[in-house]
Amino acid sequence: MNDTPVEKMSFEQAMAELEQVVQKLENGQVALEESIQLYERGDALRKRCEAKLQAAEEKVAAITTDAAGNPTGTKAFDAQ
Amino acid sequence: MEGSAMTTALFTHSDCLEHETPEGHSERADRLRAIWKALEDPAFDALDRREAPLAERSELLRVHPEAHVAAIEAAIPAEGYVSLDADTHVMAGSLVAALRAVGAVVSAVDAVMAGEVKNAFCAIRPPGHHAERVTPMGFCLFGNVSIGAKRALDHYGLERVAIIDFDVHHGNGTQDLLWDEPRILFCSTHQMPLYPGTGEPRETGAHDNIINAPLPPMSDGAAFRKIMEEQILPALDDFQPELVLISAGFDAHKDDPLAQLNFDVEDFVWVTEKICDIADKHAGGRVVSTLEGGYDLESLAASTAAHVKVLMERGA
Ligand SMILES: [Zn+2]
Repeated sequence: MNDTPVEKMSFEQAMAELEQVVQKLENGQVALEESIQLYERGDALRKRCEAKLQAAEEKVAAITTDAAGNPTGTKAFDAQ
Repeated sequence: MEGSAMTTALFTHSDCLEHETPEGHSERADRLRAIWKALEDPAFDALDRREAPLAERSELLRVHPEAHVAAIEAAIPAEGYVSLDADTHVMAGSLVAALRAVGAVVSAVDAVMAGEVKNAFCAIRPPGHHAERVTPMGFCLFGNVSIGAKRALDHYGLERVAIIDFDVHHGNGTQDLLWDEPRILFCSTHQMPLYPGTGEPRETGAHDNIINAPLPPMSDGAAFRKIMEEQILPALDDFQPELVLISAGFDAHKDDPLAQLNFDVEDFVWVTEKICDIADKHAGGRVVSTLEGGYDLESLAASTAAHVKVLMERGA
């Protein structure tokens, strides 16, 4: 497992580990006694991915466009 | 009714305590002690209490090849533990415990088929529903419930036997052992995703003889009852079993540490009554239930006691 705390992971890091977790659970490569911890890890990773996605969606929604549909900037932040 | 003979039998044995597991292991002898203590209550005085015999080797061979039995025997150490996988450990007392577990189910089938008792509960460990043909796993060495079902078919000549497995984990072992057995309908509810990873609805057996009804994490008793009423109970009714076996795991209870379903004791009461209804309608009330999982001692004891209470009410 990745040493980065879940709450500090990038979307890509969380998603990559989540895919591993799901694959392990589906392949039955996990001990019965550890299955529940692994599921809980998966759940934390899923929540991290969702939070990152939602933050990205809010940024996209904040992009303002001109009459022709061209982006003119954002309300909350400016693209670097 | 055959008068006083019709009752509920309890099969168990102190040898089932002798299968010790490493410190901190969930599948521990205290599980059985907690169940025994609950069943000491005067409410259970009417139980026909019987000692589980050691199973004959020929019973194991109903579902496992000789090589599996020999491998388990060979793995047993004189002292200390040997790990067969990350979960499954054997020590000096393990084989005798496992033979008592199988012997309990076999004898329970015999007692019910002979009409000595209406139904029976086997308070045993190690559990059995994860043991595959040649693979011990998930705390299980031999396929206890499958062996009982095969005995009913091959020794008593029954044509249709049903197994209901409401343990929170999929009964992959039972599924493996009975995949190609058209005379058995195996129905399993379980949390998914969770160990062992099998139990998708598309896994239906070689003869459409398997029904897997997974539940997502955090499902409660209402979700369980719905899936039972919509899928499993109608299929059981259509199948018209002549004997009903139960893989009674109580680890779908909300307090269980190894899973995330949220059943309560009343849900186990409900399903036991529904299963008895099917047995009354088609099987002369014949039910043999055998313990699988359940790892929170308090809810395990309470759930098991409530389950046995229903069997007694229905067996009276
Ligand atoms: Zn279980």
